[in-house]
Amino acid sequence: MSDEVLLRATDIVKNFTLRSKKLGQRSIVQAVAGVSLEVRRGETLGIVGESGCGKSTLARCLVQLMPVTSGTVEFNGTKLTGLSRRRLRPHRREMQLVFQDPYASLNPRRRVGDIVAEPLRINKYGDDQRIKERVEELFRIVGLDPASVNRYPHEFSGGQRQRIGIARALSLNPSLVVADEPVSALDVSVQAQVLNLMADLQRELALTYVFIAHDLGVVRHVSDRVGVMYLGELVELGDAETLYERPLHPYTEALLSVVPELDDGTRPKRERIVLTGDVPDPSDKPSGCPFHPRCPVATELCTTTKPALVELTAGRSVACHYPRHST
Amino acid sequence: MRSSTSSTPFSIREFDLPDETASTQPLLEVDDLRVSFATRGGVVQAVDGLSLQVGRREVVGIVGESGSGKSVAMYSLLGLVRDSNVTITGRVRFEGRDILGLPDQEMRSIRGHDIAMIFQDPMTALTPVYNVGWQIAEQIRAHGTATKQQARTRAIELLGEVGIPDPARRIDQYPHEFSGGMRQRVVIAMALSCNPKLLIADEPTTALDVTTQAQILDLMSTLQDSYNSSIVIITHDMGVISEMADRVVVMYAGRPAEIGAKRDVIRSPRHPYTWGLLGAVPRVESKRSRLVTIPGTPVSPLDVPAGCAFGPRCDYRFDACSERPALRGDGGHQDACWLDERQKVAIRQRVESSIGSENAS
Repeated sequence: MSDEVLLRATDIVKNFTLRSKKLGQRSIVQAVAGVSLEVRRGETLGIVGESGCGKSTLARCLVQLMPVTSGTVEFNGTKLTGLSRRRLRPHRREMQLVFQDPYASLNPRRRVGDIVAEPLRINKYGDDQRIKERVEELFRIVGLDPASVNRYPHEFSGGQRQRIGIARALSLNPSLVVADEPVSALDVSVQAQVLNLMADLQRELALTYVFIAHDLGVVRHVSDRVGVMYLGELVELGDAETLYERPLHPYTEALLSVVPELDDGTRPKRERIVLTGDVPDPSDKPSGCPFHPRCPVATELCTTTKPALVELTAGRSVACHYPRHST
Repeated sequence: MRSSTSSTPFSIREFDLPDETASTQPLLEVDDLRVSFATRGGVVQAVDGLSLQVGRREVVGIVGESGSGKSVAMYSLLGLVRDSNVTITGRVRFEGRDILGLPDQEMRSIRGHDIAMIFQDPMTALTPVYNVGWQIAEQIRAHGTATKQQARTRAIELLGEVGIPDPARRIDQYPHEFSGGMRQRVVIAMALSCNPKLLIADEPTTALDVTTQAQILDLMSTLQDSYNSSIVIITHDMGVISEMADRVVVMYAGRPAEIGAKRDVIRSPRHPYTWGLLGAVPRVESKRSRLVTIPGTPVSPLDVPAGCAFGPRCDYRFDACSERPALRGDGGHQDACWLDERQKVAIRQRVESSIGSENAS
């Protein structure tokens, strides 16, 4: 891992317009509300958050699968936001996505070899023979039998399908892979295989990952740094180890405290902080700090003033008026 | 399987047992349950010899990957799996009474009344076309003599108990007006409406976020205390088991691989599949290291290998594994593996120390 910044997102906002209950009226959901982050070359940045917090939308904005409402995304020094589709294309090769559902992300009517070959064909990788060799090589890289290129997705198990999705993402030798919940649809034993595969590939191919998941254990396992999202905002960002050990934001602290842990008797149990209520409706966000209605330490200030994400110590940022463990 | 805690002879078959006898007799006994489906591709043996007992006020966790037969086992003992292509054999006794193959009419008086179920997906478990009050009251009225008004009052009470704010207003709302966690609370309120003796929860928190999951698990524990129910919780999450269960059944390919007290199974697991399951879970508390993987994929139920079902994926298989191992073991901790006790302890220590050294490096 180096300090070179591969991807820089500055103040990304993504709004969706909703049809409202009343005819003719429109309301806006701010799915991503001003997220700034950097991804360094060779690292894995994990993004965690509960459903509806905007983590998938953020992923799609980062790789420009979706236009941002405002803000900029810079990749390798080039500003991607505002580029035409044509201009964007050479950069797309460099950043690929692995999707959550290995059943929905592979076309059931195409042979898996063709699915993996498609990016190669589109980008004119070479003649048929070269493409065929590359596909077989990719199958070997992700641990599939190259002889199975002529089979269809339904002939594969969930874990194997996710390997096909990974092979497709790697076909053009990207430098950045954004994985959106790549293992949440898999059984634990298969999940472990895919996570180990992704770790091996990262080392061998010098990949940079943005790894999005709701499972805090998985994110800790794969990430060098972790960002925590709540209602479209990044509320905490820091190196994985210290963030998990000494969370600064009360939300992170609560989130970590309630993950069901295996009580194997080797360490004391964390004190559980069970939050009350639900995540508020993102189209009707609370004033001030978005977390204040559920926050155990909120004060008057939190209801009126929104805390900015500030770097508290080197590499650790938090958006909270009263960060924990800070002294 | 017959654990030492239940040595009472089953000559007593009366319905209303005195309390002392009741507490020594398990609430639910499943003996050699087998469920098979005749499909076009062949016979699928979904549950293949499951025996287990659930004591009063006990929480039993059933853990396994998808397709291990954990849900089918529970559905079929409730009479929810009915089809001409299904064959169910074995014996299921609830409070000493055989309930497998009871006529519909009689089963209906047990289901929802004595044994209630919480389903995984609270959206599909509730009908979208009636308000939640109607759905809860329906169950109360079906199993008792309550009037409409009494049922409604009880429904409001129940919603309050499961932690839904302003229940008197919420009762007239429809499922889509509730969040996922709130819907699961409604489903729990419904399950509790008849004060069931046994609650079967099929992945009750899998569809929920962690913070909501914590709320629901807490709620289930609190209610278990106040209602004195027993719970069977089906899950694939060893963490949930660790938090909720007294006893654990680990299932693989429709068969129990290991059964024991939670503490024994989690701290000194004996079956190689359990080692794999425990090692494969990335933990919040532990440092970054390589995960233990189980090679291959879960077995296809159409093609369960002869002998030990886990054999083809097991690193420690040997000649004996070509024959199917029975559950054996002392006291309450049993497992179905041919390795002898000493070998298992040695292997486990070796694996654990290798993980430990990797963590340190």
